Amino acid sequence: MSEVRIAAEPRTEFGKGGARRTRRAGRVPAVLYGHGLAPRHISLPARDLLHALKTDAGSNVLLTVELAGQAELALPKEIQRHPIRGSFEHVDLVVVRRGEKVTVDVRIILVGEPREVLVDQQMTTVTVEAEATNIPDSLEVDIAGLTVGAGITAGDLELPSGTRLVTDAEYVVVQGLAAPSAAQVEAELDAAELSSAGPSTGAEPSTTDDGDSGSGETGRE
Amino acid sequence: MLIPRKVAHRKQHHPNRRGAAKGGTQVTFGEFGIQALESAYVTNRQIESARIAMTRHIRRGGKVWINIYPDRPLTKKPAETRMGSGKGSPEWWIANVKPGRVMFELSGVTEPIAREAMRRAIHKLPMKCRFVTREGGAA
Repeated sequence: MSEVRIAAEPRTEFGKGGARRTRRAGRVPAVLYGHGLAPRHISLPARDLLHALKTDAGSNVLLTVELAGQAELALPKEIQRHPIRGSFEHVDLVVVRRGEKVTVDVRIILVGEPREVLVDQQMTTVTVEAEATNIPDSLEVDIAGLTVGAGITAGDLELPSGTRLVTDAEYVVVQGLAAPSAAQVEAELDAAELSSAGPSTGAEPSTTDDGDSGSGETGRE
Repeated sequence: MLIPRKVAHRKQHHPNRRGAAKGGTQVTFGEFGIQALESAYVTNRQIESARIAMTRHIRRGGKVWINIYPDRPLTKKPAETRMGSGKGSPEWWIANVKPGRVMFELSGVTEPIAREAMRRAIHKLPMKCRFVTREGGAA
């Protein structure tokens, strides 16, 4: 796991006006807290932060935050992004120490190609406890031999040494489903098209209020 | 088609169309998704039509998630009717979609197939949309 150095500046203006000015200047408002220290409001260069979060570690990247001549190890705790632009709005960083155990979500990557099986991935991340300086980038799951009805649980994952599973070991990570036949898919789609070709509103649902009388009892079509 | 089983009030005010989506802005369940770039009322017929367009292209294999639900009624007065005499009768069921919302998700297919399936589905929807992939996913 790599460490990324990032230069931070203390933040003096707060509120949405100050935060917007910070963002316009190409920086991201952030807060650094943890280990009983008072929270420190800082700003990070947006470009450097983007590069740091694009490394293999993703959002579990270990940052060395350089602030006022001091360096602090930190992990991103929460990353707020703009819903459309995807730009960073705010980042929460939690201070960690070397050798300290932290609980993080690690990505699951499926490898291999099963035959004649519809792969149903139920979990995309798994929660593990690991040393802050030794967090696995991702966990690989081989699904080449996956059969219909079979599943791989969180307990079946191979974890690197020093890493402990926090997620319930019985949770299903991925399972194999029987793929519907072409005829079944066609029949289902034809039925759906026929039902949607009817009247525009369909039947009206019943109401629970007293004043307005609902008409008719219906369910989903 | 998607219709609520039971509602508190048959006739509601028009939903607010301002602002952006507060949640559901990331691909969560599948690998690929359709994200709204504008706000719009999406009817149950449009949702069903988009789902069918997607499923027809991917054929067998692949799983589709619908993340929006048409739980708001819109009313309409009959044509050539004088004003007054109360609110019109429910005509449509709509989902109030804000920009940024991931409406459909797909998994179990390759990216080129997913792109084409979702391009066809986007043509059935009443707003500008884009194809998105899961952050940190295999795609």
